[in-house]
Amino acid sequence: MRLLSFIKVAVWLGVSMLVTPAAHAQTTPQRVALCASCHGADGNATLNGMPSLAAQPALFLETQLVLIREGIREIPSMAGMLNGFTDAELTAIAAYYADKPLAAVPKDLDPVLFARGGELAQGMRCGICHLPTYLGRDQIPRLAGQREDFLLHSLLQFRNGEASGRDSNMTAAVYGVSDDDLKAMSYFLSRVPAQ
Amino acid sequence: MKNYIRVLSGMGLAFAIGASVQAQTAAPAKPAPAWKQGMPASMATSTLAPLPGKLVATKAADVPIDRIKLPPGFKVEVWADQIPGGRAITEGDNGKYYVGTRALGRIYEVTDNGKERTSRVFVDKLKQPTAAYKDGSLYVVAIDKVLRFDNVANNPNPTPVDMTAEFKLPPLPHHNWKYVAFGPDGKLYVPFGAPCNICVEPTTEYSQLRRYNPDGSGMEVVATGIRNTVGFDWHPVTKELWFSNHGRDWLGDNTPNDTMNILKANANYGFPFCHQGNIADPDVTKPNACAGVEQPVALMGPHAAAMGVEFYTGDMFPAEYKNVAFNARKGSWNRTSKIGFDVVAVKADNDGKNAKVEPFMSGFMNPADQTFWGRPAYLHQMKDGSMLVSDEQNGVIYRVSYSK
Repeated sequence: MRLLSFIKVAVWLGVSMLVTPAAHAQTTPQRVALCASCHGADGNATLNGMPSLAAQPALFLETQLVLIREGIREIPSMAGMLNGFTDAELTAIAAYYADKPLAAVPKDLDPVLFARGGELAQGMRCGICHLPTYLGRDQIPRLAGQREDFLLHSLLQFRNGEASGRDSNMTAAVYGVSDDDLKAMSYFLSRVPAQ
Repeated sequence: MKNYIRVLSGMGLAFAIGASVQAQTAAPAKPAPAWKQGMPASMATSTLAPLPGKLVATKAADVPIDRIKLPPGFKVEVWADQIPGGRAITEGDNGKYYVGTRALGRIYEVTDNGKERTSRVFVDKLKQPTAAYKDGSLYVVAIDKVLRFDNVANNPNPTPVDMTAEFKLPPLPHHNWKYVAFGPDGKLYVPFGAPCNICVEPTTEYSQLRRYNPDGSGMEVVATGIRNTVGFDWHPVTKELWFSNHGRDWLGDNTPNDTMNILKANANYGFPFCHQGNIADPDVTKPNACAGVEQPVALMGPHAAAMGVEFYTGDMFPAEYKNVAFNARKGSWNRTSKIGFDVVAVKADNDGKNAKVEPFMSGFMNPADQTFWGRPAYLHQMKDGSMLVSDEQNGVIYRVSYSK
């Protein structure tokens, strides 16, 4: 958390030095400079635990940005960061990242773990909503090629009933699933190519 | 919660997990998603999923209102816009209306000066809140909170009275979003939906309708076996409560129907064993599942999402609509061919007999290509006899009026 607070402050300082007029005068590229330090300039995150935003469905990003701004989806490291952003600005940011290509998936592969994760994901029918390709659609996120550590973090939040503001369907989907199974699914999904 | 898992896992839900995977996992059989429980194996490759909503503002000019169809003589306008996710509407005093939401967590206040509307966020950061108005106070009911805001017509920022403890709200969020209203008896009617698609409820606090005194005291369960009612109104003549009820998912395109029902004393409406009064559930079974189950007034269409109910009592619409129950059907997702996305008129005898469901307001969905652009959710009759219709998809409210 200390690291995240530091990043948050650093980002704010960076942005305020970069842009002197009111926040509302910022363009989308300026706006996304705020996002880039954690989520990557091209939306492919390299920091531990940070989700990649690249190639996510635009509506999914827009919806989550609104919920984060409203404080309904609580993410401590993002608290207040979207204050003052209009709906239209959030829509523009969502479109910006939805258009970015996803980086290549990790090359290392444990075939046994990958296969087990794949079987679990299929058995739990993740593909009904997230599609059999796991590319997501509309309000439903892409899982394919997402960072493994973030997938696990997110699944644990859902499993533990800590996914504030997000769909109760998904909370029910992983209720009672073991840590090992969530790890296997995260390993698998993070290595499914996005295209 | 542990009991909940046991109940679910005992319901033949092993299909939710591939057998080979199950052998590798230490955990017991896991529940499928709440909306996926009871999904037959034949739908394993389905990609039907809840439809995408929209949480950002839409301006009136961007609403394709010309596509809305109404009977001859009726017209429609966008009455209020830029209230994303707006659902149930309750009317206060001094031209103020209050509109609840789900995911966005807001209650909007829309002020009508007779010519135009302005809106603001009245309260936010709540879990799927809705509101009812009585004697100058706004009662806001969220999944985990009940707040009363007094003198809202004159005080723009009242400090709420927190009445949560009095209401004894059950904790599970699924199907626990609500519609609430005060009845002719002065009591607040509050539904508690089933916390799953289909299950034996984990406790006896769910799938029921309750009423409370306005201060939260005197709680009574007035009906059980109701899977999820999020719309009701009282018949203008009989004063009986009519309510819509959502049927379960994953039982095929044509079963079961959503229903319109009349609240009878201590009646049971069938969930989880019996749907629409005559279909025994294949997953949660008991002998004579439908015996003694109260029969619906009308079948409202399978998976149609029958929402807001409003009896028409005004003089503006033609006489054929007097005392007719309008019902907004938000539209289906768990069906290969979409239905609903409209407002229908349920014309019936005062006792509910001889009910006919007739189209009233449509054009939000294109059957040919299965696209949709709007989702009517709730209704509110204005003092002049016109009807407000909220469109949750676009976050706008329409006003439907009639002239010869």
